[in-house]
Amino acid sequence: MTLTPSLHGLYRSVVTSPRATPLSACDDGVLARAVSGASGEDASDAETELYRRFAPRVRLFGLKHLSDRAAADDLAQQVMLVVITRLRTGEVREPDQIGSFVLGTSRMMVAGKKRGERRRAAIFARFDAHEEAVDPANDLALDGSRLAPCLAALRERERTILLLTYYADKSAPEIAAAMGMTSGAVRIGRHRALASMRDCIETRRAS
Amino acid sequence: MTATRTPCPSFGELADYWTSDITPDEAEQIETHVFDCERCARMLAEADRLRVGIRDLARSGNVQAFVNDAVLNRLARDGVRVRSYALDPGETVRCAVWADDDVIVARLRADFTGVESVDAEMRFDTGEEWAQATDVPVRKGETELVLALPAGLVRNAPTVPMRLTLRHSAGSSGERILAQYVFHHEGALERP
Repeated sequence: MTLTPSLHGLYRSVVTSPRATPLSACDDGVLARAVSGASGEDASDAETELYRRFAPRVRLFGLKHLSDRAAADDLAQQVMLVVITRLRTGEVREPDQIGSFVLGTSRMMVAGKKRGERRRAAIFARFDAHEEAVDPANDLALDGSRLAPCLAALRERERTILLLTYYADKSAPEIAAAMGMTSGAVRIGRHRALASMRDCIETRRAS
Repeated sequence: MTATRTPCPSFGELADYWTSDITPDEAEQIETHVFDCERCARMLAEADRLRVGIRDLARSGNVQAFVNDAVLNRLARDGVRVRSYALDPGETVRCAVWADDDVIVARLRADFTGVESVDAEMRFDTGEEWAQATDVPVRKGETELVLALPAGLVRNAPTVPMRLTLRHSAGSSGERILAQYVFHHEGALERP
């Protein structure tokens, strides 16, 4: 992952400086208005807080639509660069709706990336080229030693649903057919299992 | 002006975002909400970490569970080394785990007619319980259940006979034994 030069300072301040207490309590719209039209120096704390709040959301959006963690990281930087630049130059007409603006920008950029991806795939297909997909290490992943006891504590049916969903990549109807259940029951079972896992991990973290 | 925020989805509903079950419309609703709600954005990230953690745990072979061919095929594709034993009801099998095994699979055949779920338990000859599972789903027409065990767990088990019993789930009327299987565990082996 490479950082664009203009975001490098912003990123560094986000990861190295303590969170600005007053701004962290601000409404998203208040932050966006603080950035909008202000000079770079005046708004740097608000920009930092805005980045801290929205970059993770853009990253999750990217992960869903690009299915690649490195691409999702890049998307988060690119989107936040555009958003902050547009706010600075007063191009965001409704700073109070900053969430919608960030989402809209994310959607546009993902669509652009997908178009580029299709063009690239067509070129690869034409020249019979191959590319190895690399799954980068995910340093945010849950530690297996914490997760395993919680997975083991589930009812067998729920554990099977989670394995089929997240490991075998099966849909609810496929799991339903494999387990003799309805799709609705699979989704309910999955929700229940995830809630149990979450509680279990939280309890073990606290103890 | 402040937009009216939709109610927060449950953790499970947010987690559906990471599955193929979610429709484009549902995904858009979640995205619209999450970009306006930091709490739900955090929960969505938590759900992502959970699914990645479960996937990685399964890929490492460190899961004890009743699985099906979809999971076994995925393990094969991921290069996980699986050793299988297949048993009919009442059968005794000599078994061992080898140094390069990742997962041990027991294919437990039985007549599951009219059975919707079973409980399973594994006991040493001494009567001491080694493992148990409740509410194992049985699909209509099923002829075998597939139990996957981490090879590391089996490697460390005592080299004594173990009896695996399948029963109608506790909720069913009576507690009829469906089948029993005996594993003569001969320990961890290495090729010369």
